[in-house]
Amino acid sequence: MNSIEVRSLSKSFGDVKAVDSVSFSVKKGEFFGLLGPNGAGKTTTINMLTGLLEKDSGEISILGKNPNEDWEYVKNRMNVSTAYFPISDVLTVRQALNVYSRIFGVKDYKRKISELLVKFELSHLQDRRIILLSSGERTRVAIAKGLLNDPEVLFLDECTVGLDPDIADKTRTLMREYQKEKGAAIFFTSHYMFEVEMLCGRIGFMINGRLLNVDTSANLKRIIRKTTVEMVVKEGRAKLLRDFLLEEDVDVLFMEDNRVAFEVASSGDRLYRLMNKIFAQGFKLSDLHIKRPTLEDLFIKLARRK
Amino acid sequence: MKFHRIAGLLLKHYYTTTNKADRLFDMFYWPAIDLFVWGFASMYISKISNYNLLSMLLGGIILWIFVWRGSQDIAVYMLEDFWSKNLYHLFSSPVRLSELLFSVILFAFFRSIVSGIAMAVLAYLMYSFNLLSIPIAVAGISVFLLSLFGWIMGLFVAGLILRYGQRIQVLGWSTVWVVQPFSCVFYPLSALPLWAKSIAVWLPTTYVFENMRAALAGSAVDYSAYFLSFLVSLVLLGVMLLFVYSSFRHSKKTGLLARGD
Ligand SMILES: Nc1ncnc2c1ncn2[C@@H]1O[C@H](COP(=O)(O)OP(=O)(O)OP(=O)(O)O)[C@@H](O)[C@H]1O
Ligand SMILES: [Mg+2]
Repeated sequence: MNSIEVRSLSKSFGDVKAVDSVSFSVKKGEFFGLLGPNGAGKTTTINMLTGLLEKDSGEISILGKNPNEDWEYVKNRMNVSTAYFPISDVLTVRQALNVYSRIFGVKDYKRKISELLVKFELSHLQDRRIILLSSGERTRVAIAKGLLNDPEVLFLDECTVGLDPDIADKTRTLMREYQKEKGAAIFFTSHYMFEVEMLCGRIGFMINGRLLNVDTSANLKRIIRKTTVEMVVKEGRAKLLRDFLLEEDVDVLFMEDNRVAFEVASSGDRLYRLMNKIFAQGFKLSDLHIKRPTLEDLFIKLARRK
Repeated sequence: MKFHRIAGLLLKHYYTTTNKADRLFDMFYWPAIDLFVWGFASMYISKISNYNLLSMLLGGIILWIFVWRGSQDIAVYMLEDFWSKNLYHLFSSPVRLSELLFSVILFAFFRSIVSGIAMAVLAYLMYSFNLLSIPIAVAGISVFLLSLFGWIMGLFVAGLILRYGQRIQVLGWSTVWVVQPFSCVFYPLSALPLWAKSIAVWLPTTYVFENMRAALAGSAVDYSAYFLSFLVSLVLLGVMLLFVYSSFRHSKKTGLLARGD
């Protein structure tokens, strides 16, 4: 059974088609990432899934149920975190978590809260009002709140924004552990490509309200067909290398001093055959840099194509 | 409606109250100021003339608290969730609008009781005014009807806030004062000019205060007026609930609920 199933979901604000006939599904226990430029419709999609925003059309099923009908079943088993909403600023950290654990009907909530406070290194801040916390500390409170009810479906909308590298890394580890332990489906958005790549099994690209490609990051990167290679050769040999490459029908990007950069297809063994030929010609390298396509390259390529 | 969710919401209102001086201030400070000003003023008037206004004014001030708190607290505790960006978390959780409304109404009622008792004690200490000189049935019915009207006003403002967001927040603590002059809190209906009277006769609050003055003066209380006020209030309550729910649905469509501003 899919934990989240969305079919032809659409939402417009006036003339803006924020989400345009989007369909996808997230399996139980899957870490699903949604990428896309600012204003692509990621948050709008999440808001419709969490019941904060009414859809114009389309179908949503969460944990096999229609969230409008079985709202209590669904909402007790899901949760959401974001760096942009600090829960409740006049309350202290523990008070806020107290309130939400009652709302979710968490059993043994005192132990649960203490556990989360330790996990997110908030124990020493528990009696401080949320308004007085630093933005990264607030974000940790929001994530702790997101885990209070051990959700089977967890939405994380840019939840790592503003965390320092150490805490961000710990948070990612906690998220992954949580997903493995509980078999939870996690729906994740972020503008940090490396963490999306690291955490997410499948990634969807959203642009202008449309969901373009949904695939693993390895497959997605194949959309960028080129690998960039930069070579540094002995004095005076750069021009010869360039000429050789041009003969071989390679796209040379630039030549500068004794440095030559070119592009080859990522798929197949084109790159290795070419390297062998270069060595066979007697070129000696003093430096080599191979840049494989990254998710970021793909992001930029897709975003600019719009 | 689930008890544990209402308990969670009440806990939130309680924490908000104890953590924020504003919320304690409006329970004690403002009504106490009213008591001071009008108490001393009417003591002075009775000294230079034969008119004894004291019990009428103090009774009015204390009973008005129930309209005031009911109306303002519903709006302000709703606004607190806007200010603290809490709506996002509340309405992505299993909390229902009915549970939120029920919890703010209950909490507002609790606050008005605390505030009302504190002011009754203060009035007794300062001016030897005994609120219990009003017959207990009249006092009870008054508190109930005035609270009910307060909730009606509060729901009206809550509906506006849910529809238009915090930019109209000033209505949260000002709306109730629009109806005060027409509610005949401190003077009889007969004291109003014709145009104002034609508004006042439609307000359930008018009859509650008219009866309060009758009871204080030892004359007969008109119970049928209470009954009519109650019927009018029920109709208004129904209308306001419909309004709040339609605003809520509206803000789910426009995205106001998700943005919370
Ligand atoms: N409540 C609203 N009213 C009007 N327009 C809105 C509303 N919410 C979102 N939009 C518009 O819908 C589009 C999608 O916004 P959304 O917040 O979903 O983008 P996003 O992908 O989350 O972007 P970001 O990466 O910046 O968070 C944007 O053009 C935005 O301006
Ligand atoms: Mg967003």
